Amino acid sequence: MPGGAGGFRHDNIGGLVWTLVRTDFATRYHGTIGGFLWALLKPLTMFLVLLFVFSYVFVNTPQYKIGLILGLFLYEFFQESSRTGLQSLRAKAYLLTKARFPTWVVVVTSMSNAVITLALFSVVLLAALFAVGRPPSLVGILLYAWYQLQFFAVVTGFSLATSVLFMRYRDLNQVWDVATQAGFFVAPIVYPISILPERIHFYLYLWPPTAVILFSRSVLIDQTIPSLRAHLLLSLEAATALAIGAFIFRLRAPRVPEFL
Amino acid sequence: MAGVSKSFTIPAVRRDTVREHALDFFRRRPSEKLQVLTDVSFELRRGESLGLMGRNGSGKSTLLKIAAGIYTPDAGQVSLRAAITPILELGIGWNPDLDAIDNIELLGTVMGLSLRELRAAHDEILGFAGLERFANLELRHYSSGMGARLAYAVAFRAVREVLILDEIFAVGDAGFRERCEARYRELHRAGRSMLLVTHDPHVISAFCDRALLLEGGRIIAQGRARDIADAYLALLTRGAQASMPEQHA
Repeated sequence: MPGGAGGFRHDNIGGLVWTLVRTDFATRYHGTIGGFLWALLKPLTMFLVLLFVFSYVFVNTPQYKIGLILGLFLYEFFQESSRTGLQSLRAKAYLLTKARFPTWVVVVTSMSNAVITLALFSVVLLAALFAVGRPPSLVGILLYAWYQLQFFAVVTGFSLATSVLFMRYRDLNQVWDVATQAGFFVAPIVYPISILPERIHFYLYLWPPTAVILFSRSVLIDQTIPSLRAHLLLSLEAATALAIGAFIFRLRAPRVPEFL
Repeated sequence: MAGVSKSFTIPAVRRDTVREHALDFFRRRPSEKLQVLTDVSFELRRGESLGLMGRNGSGKSTLLKIAAGIYTPDAGQVSLRAAITPILELGIGWNPDLDAIDNIELLGTVMGLSLRELRAAHDEILGFAGLERFANLELRHYSSGMGARLAYAVAFRAVREVLILDEIFAVGDAGFRERCEARYRELHRAGRSMLLVTHDPHVISAFCDRALLLEGGRIIAQGRARDIADAYLALLTRGAQASMPEQHA
């Protein structure tokens, strides 16, 4: 819609982002024991439980154990953030029909809880690696942070696209739940990728969690850095996902209030 | 607003899911086009209070949503030279798990207020809505009237240059309506522009400088507020007569 002189301009994106993140956080943990503290305890508890369980199952392969935990957490982030991103516009329908504001903010901030959990888990994981005498290098830590940023870009692209498509396809969340459950076994989380024929590795890497999980394991646990080509492919994958998501969102977002 | 038209497509058979789209991919999907607005043009001048009247289904709400930037028109242009604050459907929808303070901040930031402004205005907003005692009560425990009052109080605080109001004076008790009317007059005196929708001819006559009458998605009359209020009443009377059964002697 052609508008002149910023009649629809929003002057306070920072305040809007902070309020959406804060209220999402408050809503999610409302009424549970510990309230906000639960958010801090959840990744820590999960980490300790998994560590305990796998200490008995895989006593002789500590690398597998910690790699499995890392893979599970990263996949949990992918599942959780993509699910909330997909449902974000419908969940905030009560705001979308009230005023015009940049709706992409709603989609991006909906993933904040998953991002906070991942960040806390990462801190705990790094602390554990230091504690057991296997500290990753500084480059490894920085690369790990870079991979998570790219993971976030992938999920953001996905969420931007699916949040607007969910207005039209109301069972998209169920389809996505099934896809991510199947995808759990596509990503080499519980099995090493080496047990599969090398010719199909490329296809596994097309599923974004695969590259992020394997690269993260490489730099934090195996202390090896993937090739430059591998990094470029991951960046390309993230940029493509974000660009496609932003394109679909831009195309369909103006009509979203008409579906509410 | 110049030459604005808007239609909605109403499918004869609903297909809302991936499954339905996949199964009926090759099947034709008949649909009907519902023309809601046709070639609507008007201007809201700086400092003017413009009323909008029309029967139910005449396109008023769609017109307001287009003016507020929430809907996109199929054709025509909306040119804005000032920041808009809409007060639309405000009685509907809050985050029920949050208390009044958090909901004030949520709606206030969506409407463009800064957090500093909102925190300084908590008491003023709650006082306007008459809800000071319920500041920390979750919205799930509010009645619909309480929720609407809170929303209007936030929006009245958030007004920047242009205010778009949908049936504002139909909410709340007499005391709240008085506060709304006083605030409306105060904003008008301060030079804010207003676009006001109501079914009440007295409100149009009392609060608007000029008015438009919408019928079947077109503006059929515009002029002095009092004249348009009379035209609206005449339209209602004609409509009522037309729908009456014929009297046989």
